[in-house]
Amino acid sequence: MNADIRSPHLDLGDLIAEAAGQPIGDRAREHLAGCEHCQLEANRWNLVADGVRGLAAAAPEAAAAPEGAQPARLRRTRQRGPKGPWRRALLVAGSAAAALVLLVGIGTVTGLVHVHLGGPSTEAALTAVTGCTQLEQADGTLAHVTGDTLVIKTASGQPVTVTTTASTFVSTSGPLLSDITDGASVMVRGYGSGGTIAAAVITVGQPFSAVNPAGFVLVQGTVSDASTAGFTLATSGGTRVRVTTSSDTLVVVPHASLGQLQAGSSIFAVGQAGPDGTLSARGVAAITQLPSGPHIGVSVKDCSSSSIIEALDALSAAPR
Amino acid sequence: MNDPRGDAGAPVFTVNSDGACDDAGLLRRIGQGDEDAMAAFYREHGRVVLAQVLLVTGERVLAEEIVQDTMLAVWRGAGSFRGESSVRSWVIAIARRQTRDRLRHQRLRVVDDAFLADQPGSGPGPEVTALDRAELAEVKGAIRELALPHREVLGLAFGSGLSLPEVAGVLDIPVGTVKSRLAAARTALSRILDEKGQDQ
Repeated sequence: MNADIRSPHLDLGDLIAEAAGQPIGDRAREHLAGCEHCQLEANRWNLVADGVRGLAAAAPEAAAAPEGAQPARLRRTRQRGPKGPWRRALLVAGSAAAALVLLVGIGTVTGLVHVHLGGPSTEAALTAVTGCTQLEQADGTLAHVTGDTLVIKTASGQPVTVTTTASTFVSTSGPLLSDITDGASVMVRGYGSGGTIAAAVITVGQPFSAVNPAGFVLVQGTVSDASTAGFTLATSGGTRVRVTTSSDTLVVVPHASLGQLQAGSSIFAVGQAGPDGTLSARGVAAITQLPSGPHIGVSVKDCSSSSIIEALDALSAAPR
Repeated sequence: MNDPRGDAGAPVFTVNSDGACDDAGLLRRIGQGDEDAMAAFYREHGRVVLAQVLLVTGERVLAEEIVQDTMLAVWRGAGSFRGESSVRSWVIAIARRQTRDRLRHQRLRVVDDAFLADQPGSGPGPEVTALDRAELAEVKGAIRELALPHREVLGLAFGSGLSLPEVAGVLDIPVGTVKSRLAAARTALSRILDEKGQDQ
């Protein structure tokens, strides 16, 4: 946090560390979670960082180039330089391994985000995210959460350590009706009949999903009279609508805390590959309504945080 | 320890239990002339170094030559690594010196710190608004137009996996100066985006 008592906001070092995916202190993290000014600043730095990483991601093709040039230089300078083995290694380093995943489009969610479902994977624990070369994903079953770190067990049984920061988007979804309380701002998607909406998907708090399956009505408002059977939704225009819920109602909670994630949930983390096979997550979604096991690859429109949130949100709203 | 000059057996890398290469161990082996260790070192760091040098020079062929020179310097000087910094920041510092030497020979104008002293204002101005409106592709294009020191510090901070103190070590400036240089870089970036927005 800022040592300057005149400013209540995060200092530049925290904002930069956050954008760089490096740890910041608990106080700074708590402040960021509740400070709109700092979140805006963090988003600006994230955009700058995304731009740099996007340019860096364009470099790997050139990584193989020294195969031809390096040995020539070494011969010319007559140094005790590497010969055959290095050449071979550079060839390997410069060639991208093709991921062989059976991709079958679910096609149920949205035209904005493309979600693919494949069979169990025995390949690398981190897999590519289509649409952004510097992003990778880990998916599987949530094993446990310790502090800011969670461990995902992939379909092939590999554990993957996922680190998070204050700006990591964390969401959870499932039959979480207890998260709908009086005063909560929600968006309800469901079937309307006789002035009542039978809720299929309820999103609690921003960002509200852009996804709206065909045939659903969509209403936003504030919850009152919440019970296990439903609640009354008051819209900004003053209309009051009765919403019924059931065990089939899917509740999506964006901006959840890691503590809300349930071990055993299907979980998806998207971010940058870190050291030792870890993933520095920019977005995490725990989705209890999806069966664990099959690999699901997510495509994003671009590398921005909003695209990641959009992709995870679409997954979270996927039907059982 | 693998003996690269030995005849028997396949090369053995120093690998942690989770599969990650031990950088310091690699350097020790490189210092002993182990070519396999050099190859592993290249795989571990070559991409990041190339990305950083490419960001600074903007010329792919030149950047690749600089990376070659850097790796050659690693091959020659691995034994001089004393572990006072991370291996990543050590090799990037070597690459930076190689880049500086090349650019000096090309007589490129290097912008000094006085030029970089343009600090961002205290409140969100039109430049910040431009950044709020910008798409990622526009930001990437604008980064390419930044002055060399701005590109360099952004690359080190966000593209190389270095902490701010490590960036300060590579640039040989205080951490506070790294922060102010980053802030100045963002301001310059925003101005470029703002100008492009006004042109459209």
